[in-house]
Amino acid sequence: MSRFALPAFTALVVLFTIAPLLVLMFSSFDDGRFFRFPPRDFSLRWYHAAFASVEYRSSLLNSAVVGLIATGISVTFGSAAALGLLRGAARSRATLEMILVAPLTLPLVIWAIALLQIYAWLGIGGTLWGLVLAHATFTLPFSVRVMLATFASIDPGLELAARSLGARPWRAFARITLPLALPGLATSAALSFFISFNDVIVSTFIAGSSWITFPVRLYSQLRGQGIDPTTMAIGTMIIVSILIVVGLTELFNRRTLRA
Amino acid sequence: MRSWDNDGFATTGTSARAVIERAQTSWLLVPGVVLVASVFLAPFLLLFAMSFWSQPEGTLLVDPSPTLGNYQRIFSDGFYLRGLMRTLWLSVATVLISLILGFPVAYWIVRRARRLRRLVTALMLLPIVCGALLPTLGLVNLLSPLGIINGSLRSLGVIDRAIPLLGTQFGILIGLVQAFLPLMVLPLVAVLDQVPRSLEDAAMSLGARPAQVWRRVVVPLAARGALAGSVLVFCAALTSFVTPQILGQGKIATFAAMTWQQASLVLDWPFAASLAMVMLMLIGALGVSVAVLRRSLGQRL
Repeated sequence: MSRFALPAFTALVVLFTIAPLLVLMFSSFDDGRFFRFPPRDFSLRWYHAAFASVEYRSSLLNSAVVGLIATGISVTFGSAAALGLLRGAARSRATLEMILVAPLTLPLVIWAIALLQIYAWLGIGGTLWGLVLAHATFTLPFSVRVMLATFASIDPGLELAARSLGARPWRAFARITLPLALPGLATSAALSFFISFNDVIVSTFIAGSSWITFPVRLYSQLRGQGIDPTTMAIGTMIIVSILIVVGLTELFNRRTLRA
Repeated sequence: MRSWDNDGFATTGTSARAVIERAQTSWLLVPGVVLVASVFLAPFLLLFAMSFWSQPEGTLLVDPSPTLGNYQRIFSDGFYLRGLMRTLWLSVATVLISLILGFPVAYWIVRRARRLRRLVTALMLLPIVCGALLPTLGLVNLLSPLGIINGSLRSLGVIDRAIPLLGTQFGILIGLVQAFLPLMVLPLVAVLDQVPRSLEDAAMSLGARPAQVWRRVVVPLAARGALAGSVLVFCAALTSFVTPQILGQGKIATFAAMTWQQASLVLDWPFAASLAMVMLMLIGALGVSVAVLRRSLGQRL
């Protein structure tokens, strides 16, 4: 095996993994109503359509509202749980951690079918709070995982030192540990938000008709009418925002580590 | 990066105050654990019960008197059995292809990537963060009769009629591997990270050829990661319905797509629950066999 075989193979596989996203971004600039390769003309036509469209705007707004509230819950509960696991006195640590990350290990489709029935009984099917509750739950494991790694990398001695100098426990936490945990908090918030924002698997079961999120709308459209090129322009903008946020978090991470 | 053993958080004092404080800190676990236990885990119990209920045809009213009718229907109707077989073969194929593609990538990330490591890992995570739909949207344009693959082959003069990729099992397989490959690579990276490079160097210095080092040292040590990744990919492929439905153009029904259909279109929730229970039982059986396999692996290593 030559020296370049492994890097070349890796590059091809990584390319394969992100190819669909690259294709999506490329085809959003095709002028035609139906994408064809090679394209005849390039234009920003579908971007103009995206910004002009009221119907997509409301579903995008729904996704953002659900995502923001769910992220708030996921990051708060997740950080608290991570601290509790690391610094608490609970004996069955492994079991508790397994419960907290269960939504990562058990398939969400199966859960969503049960949730459908429960939401119908509780009368929260198709409501904002029904969606928020579900999204906060399945994004929680990401926050727990990231915050466990974050808090584990912070020297608890720093906080103890502050306290031995007379700082109250809460103040020592807020002034020492919290600032050091900011990059981790930013990472878990970004992960939770985008995973919630892009979720179709759970939402398609429980979204109902009044709180349709963008992916749920896109999914029913894809099954019925095929691709509307406007959604490719919107999809491209979502991917670009993800890349920007990931890039910013990474920069923030490096700066905090250096400081 | 150094990892702090947080057992030591209260090491400066084993005083009563420190003990009380640790007990108080444990309360921080309550909101998260309660949320997952009540919203996530409890519904699985209901699902089990619901799968024995029935819904008289033509109504949306549920009859909660227990019956095995739903299960009898699944295992006597060829439609569902064929769907199950098709889904199982697609999932196994997804696992095998992901393993073949993912292993060298994980090895490269751990041993050679250096500065590129964070970038490549982030790129592998991207499909997970983007959800199931955005990549699928791109795949449709990649695989369609006028799409990138067929379009390039046609302009190169290789083909004059489009190869059918959308609406075929092969197209679905491409989508599944693309979506779930990261679930194979990440556990492999985690396991390979713990294998010291010196083991490979030692084997080399004792005269092993690179291929032998791979087969006798790297692969056996990474087996745990491969096993963990395979389980994740298998479960994800088995229960995936968005990718198969869009890339199969509604022509190829996978088991999870049938379940979705019963829950969202037919609105027969008890029957959907029993289909979901069948998937859950398959996953449970897999979990048990993997635990057994792990134990025997553990004895050998």
